[in-house]
Amino acid sequence: MAGDRFSRLHTTLARGSHHDNRPDKGIPLPVGVKMLLALTLSCLAFLARTETFLGMVTAANLLVFVLLRPQGVSWWRQGRLFVFQTTVIVVLYILRFGSLAGVRDGLLISWQLFLAFWPTMVFAKTTSQAKIVRAMNRIMPSRMSFVMATCLKFAPHLLEEVRDIYEGQVLRGARILPKDLARPWNWPDLVHCVVVPAVVQGMALAGNIAMAARVRDFGLHSRRTCWPGD
Amino acid sequence: MMKRLSARFCEKFRLPLKDALFLGFCAVFAVLTRVVLRLHLHISGHAMIIKVFFLMLARGSTPCLYGASFTALLAGTAAMFLGFAKAGPLIIVKYLVTGIVIDAGAFLLPMLFRSYVLCALVAGAASSTKFFTAYGINALVGMDPVVNLQRSLLEAAGAVVFGVAGGLMVPMVVRRLKAYDVIK
Repeated sequence: MAGDRFSRLHTTLARGSHHDNRPDKGIPLPVGVKMLLALTLSCLAFLARTETFLGMVTAANLLVFVLLRPQGVSWWRQGRLFVFQTTVIVVLYILRFGSLAGVRDGLLISWQLFLAFWPTMVFAKTTSQAKIVRAMNRIMPSRMSFVMATCLKFAPHLLEEVRDIYEGQVLRGARILPKDLARPWNWPDLVHCVVVPAVVQGMALAGNIAMAARVRDFGLHSRRTCWPGD
Repeated sequence: MMKRLSARFCEKFRLPLKDALFLGFCAVFAVLTRVVLRLHLHISGHAMIIKVFFLMLARGSTPCLYGASFTALLAGTAAMFLGFAKAGPLIIVKYLVTGIVIDAGAFLLPMLFRSYVLCALVAGAASSTKFFTAYGINALVGMDPVVNLQRSLLEAAGAVVFGVAGGLMVPMVVRRLKAYDVIK
């Protein structure tokens, strides 16, 4: 089961840096515009105090959703998140006001919190990692955006290594299968058998990448001169 | 202007590229581990175990004074733009505040990563920031103050328990890394 999740995440991350050439299903807006749009809609959700304003923000979100047509949105996951959050807030409102009068307010607050998160999710689903990192280079120092781009690019590789370590340790008999990890006293096994080797592997990989970057004169130019896919 | 200022800041507190990349990996893994493990416990704050562990590990395994804050900044940015953020752009603040508390703890307590008790204390303090960030976010959307207080306390209580659990794993890892001579 854990292996399946590893594989799915590995595939998603590996595809992230390669699906730049995939045609957009919706309107191909520049990444900067999409980023600004997502942040504005998210901030507007926080500012919405009246039902009319919230309705307008919802309509704007729907319009953006229809125009950008994000692929692979998990409705089940988003719905569950909303239902769980709403249940907690509405119950607290009912306890506070002692009647069903709080239900409406609770629902509105929960919807507002959901709308604060929704635009960035749509943005992430319609923009590739490489484009996101490239856009971030405009607002972050180039060194920091290089670190971010490199870590996202090598994350699938490191994840693959962690999976190899995990499977090797399972074969050795370490008690780190999901059913074993349901018992907290097995957690030190996970730390000793998987986390420590994974950290060592991560440090070794960071050292290798840093050396490769240095021999290619990384840092000579203040702005980045080469991007993956160029 | 903002970029020039941040570039000057980076110049002043320059990190070796190797350390910066390792912190970057910690940040990416702090975000991704949540997706791999998918701990559907339906207990508020369970993600704090991973957040606190990776932020403390980042600070404990590099000599950088602002390692946890830097990792938090990267993790928050990654979480926001990869669509894993439940709080929209404010996710960066949530990560950053936790990172700052860990850095302050490491600065004030030089023995931090050798002691389980100190790690638990700092992890608890870092996790308790969940109360303030949750309260701030809910206040921004205009939630009733009493409901806000109750909800933030509920979230923070779970976060502190899981955060302490995450913090308790750190001395074990740092000790092993020192034994293997991976960190000085």
